[in-house]
Amino acid sequence: MTEKTITLGKSELRKDAWEKVTGAAHYVADIPHDEVLYGAIVRSTIHHGRLLSVNVSAANQVPGVIEVITSGDIPGDKAFGALIHDQPPLVVDLVRHLGEPIALVIAETNLAAHKAASLVEIEYKQVEPVHDAVGAVSSEASRLYAEGNLISHYEIKDGDVGNGFSDADIIVEESFSVPLVSPAYMETENAVARWNADETLTVWVSSQHPFIDQLEIAATLGIEPEKIQVKSAIVGGAFGGKEDASIAILASLGAWIVKGTVKLVNTRQESFWAHPKRHPAQFQLKLGAKSDGTIVALKAKANVDTGAFASYGPAVGIILTETLAGSYRVPNVDLETIVAYTNGPLAGAVRGFGSPQSHFAIESMIDILAAKIDMDPIEVRRKNILRVGDKMFTGVVVNETANSLPESLKRAAEVLQQFDAIEPASGKVAGSGMALVMQSMGLGAKVPDDSTQGLEWLPDGSVRVHLGSPDLGQGLTMTAEQITAETLELPYEKIQTLDIDTWESPNGNVTCASRMTYMVGNALVDAAEQLKAQMLTQAARLLNQPQEDLSYKNGEVIITGGERIAVREIVSRAADDGIELKSEATFSFPYPEETTPQHLPIGMPHVLFCFGAQIARVEVDPELGTVEVTHLTAVHDVGRVISRQGVEGQIEGGASMGLGYALFEEMALKENGQWVDSFTEYLLPTTKDMPPKFENIILEIPEESGPFGAKGIGEVTVPPTAPAIANAIYNASGIRVRSLPITPEKLITS
Amino acid sequence: MKSIQVSFILNGNDVAVSSAPNRTLLDVLRNELGLPGTKDACSGEGECGACTVIMDGAAVNSCLVFIGQVGGRSVETIEGLATNGEYHPLQRTFVEAGAVQCGYCTPGMIMASKALLDEKSTPSDAEIREGLSGNLCRCTGYVKIVDAVRLAAEELARD
Repeated sequence: MTEKTITLGKSELRKDAWEKVTGAAHYVADIPHDEVLYGAIVRSTIHHGRLLSVNVSAANQVPGVIEVITSGDIPGDKAFGALIHDQPPLVVDLVRHLGEPIALVIAETNLAAHKAASLVEIEYKQVEPVHDAVGAVSSEASRLYAEGNLISHYEIKDGDVGNGFSDADIIVEESFSVPLVSPAYMETENAVARWNADETLTVWVSSQHPFIDQLEIAATLGIEPEKIQVKSAIVGGAFGGKEDASIAILASLGAWIVKGTVKLVNTRQESFWAHPKRHPAQFQLKLGAKSDGTIVALKAKANVDTGAFASYGPAVGIILTETLAGSYRVPNVDLETIVAYTNGPLAGAVRGFGSPQSHFAIESMIDILAAKIDMDPIEVRRKNILRVGDKMFTGVVVNETANSLPESLKRAAEVLQQFDAIEPASGKVAGSGMALVMQSMGLGAKVPDDSTQGLEWLPDGSVRVHLGSPDLGQGLTMTAEQITAETLELPYEKIQTLDIDTWESPNGNVTCASRMTYMVGNALVDAAEQLKAQMLTQAARLLNQPQEDLSYKNGEVIITGGERIAVREIVSRAADDGIELKSEATFSFPYPEETTPQHLPIGMPHVLFCFGAQIARVEVDPELGTVEVTHLTAVHDVGRVISRQGVEGQIEGGASMGLGYALFEEMALKENGQWVDSFTEYLLPTTKDMPPKFENIILEIPEESGPFGAKGIGEVTVPPTAPAIANAIYNASGIRVRSLPITPEKLITS
Repeated sequence: MKSIQVSFILNGNDVAVSSAPNRTLLDVLRNELGLPGTKDACSGEGECGACTVIMDGAAVNSCLVFIGQVGGRSVETIEGLATNGEYHPLQRTFVEAGAVQCGYCTPGMIMASKALLDEKSTPSDAEIREGLSGNLCRCTGYVKIVDAVRLAAEELARD
């Protein structure tokens, strides 16, 4: 790109990073408070059953205990939830998963709270638990809810799949499965709630959606949302898992009842048990193709387990269904997905939101097809990729950004060639593989999605961003500041950002769905243009000049043919007159009625997409079944780079999450009836697992509706990694593993 | 439980604390000494490295050190790394290389890196990866963390 920019496309330094490297950054658990009380959650020790009794008398005797709270003490709604109100803050009568909160102890010390929690005596009448989606919807399964265990059932048909298979020269049928995995952000869920003497609450929470927390806390307490002030502190990672209000609700409930300040921090074990996970799923795929590789039909069935509560499960099921055919044009499809309740920990939003699951299935399937017809997997993909103007089975027509697919394939072919030239280490076999990816942006049609962001020009000439959506650590603040700086033609250093406070900040809506650069960026471009207009109006008034003789450039107001006045002069003189230069703008995610099919369920279809490819080289030890990913190259189209380092960071982090999905991570139910619930058994990738050779190839094919042509990058980086590695392992060893993670045991026994 | 008196050197200064003997160094740093820069991500199991501090020159998980074990020793935490208002090269290179995202693993990661560079001034990339393999990060994929440590090592070697 030759166009000269102020900050766009550069690797600016994150301003928040300085306090993070000195230890001065305060996450929720680090904020000092006066007279803080501590909460401890009493959690169920069974997977499924009725509460017969909860005896808190021994707990109440522990010195320092203030209160032991159970569901009967909840003044308002006894259940909350993102899409369905099925999640009780504290169990009412039926325990639906191991680790579900039953009581909340509030005490003067953390030690006393936890000691008392261990003394709460609970009697249960156990019910046989269900632990897989297919079993859960059978007629014999015990029900978690009176209406049954099936939450969502999606069927999408396009063309005529019967005819498609009749036309096929070859039909491939395969099953795949993916496990329950944790977002495993480093900072566990936490919240501090302070009761204020004017009967309001101030709540600090590590959350993706402070404005939703505000509503859910208010509903639980049975009070007006205006009485709840939610402040989003620094967030220590989220990845979707902090789109859940449970910790904020419980801390608030405690503070409200004891009229004090309550701090609640989940242990890592509690985080495994009781915060949203990535949905486990099983797939059956039947793919029909011509002998030249052209895909003619796809029939797919997906069974998705959302655990004890719906959370975002029904919406995850939608994106999972939409991505069953990956980035390919398939004229005849018959797709079916069920989402079912089980007695597992709740699964909800996690980076990729259904797409990593489907991509493992379809991208493995493409390589299986290629092997069957003895074709280069790249060629099979090239024949079938979506092209600009193609109508997908959802009825959505793909826009120009689909041009990134053939480009990604071209790059992937070059990279594969380089990888294949590298000799393996002695005793190892080497192979390479790739996968394409399509990830939607946005919440889906008919889901209202407005994001409001604000700007303020300060008398010293600097600009303050009133960010309405939390930065989860990914660098949203930097992106917002760069877009503001570029639009206002100011140096990046001149822009600062205010932390979120639901009483003060604009409502920017939840941070999720790969749409923050897009939504926040578009809103800020609009707000910045308004601010410039205000600047010229004030300049005209204060300088006593006709406005048409004034223009704005690079932090100065220019009078035609002459003088330049620094903006700080205008802003400070306006301030003297009591006039503030402030603007706010709302961007609504566009779902134009004429191009958005209306007959599909709410949240479907998604209409804008991010595309890319990842290419892996592995070395496999055929004796031990161990896999080393030696090289990974990621090709991703971001429309337009805002922060180069920020984009790279998203890709590298996403791919490492994908690598963990491929090889290590599984929150399994062990033979002793306990979940894997610690980092000793749940293996995250470490420095030694990431490929020593990692490369980014960043494409910039503008998304017309995006700010400066930019679109999302947060999620698209995860789905292709696992199938690329699986395909590389097959290429190296001839072994096709159809279930994640690909452990040495599976490789040896396959 | 009876309290014990423990005196040690913290970031170059003498400190004395009165504490129950079963409290961990992490707990005392965060909750008694007002130094919350050292983080806890695995609830005291020694699995994540977020609580890494340097004790007598070696990186340790402060969640696995009882306060009684600290008597007479020298402890360095993230808060003591900058000297006279000057960032340590690792702090600067972590920011410059883009090695900080959510930042929750950062203090432990930097302390582990410092212990590594104190022991070996010019580590290879493989040695950096080995040296940091006990510190988990979920945001960055470690690529830019390894870059940051290499850059700091180069800078320290030049000085």
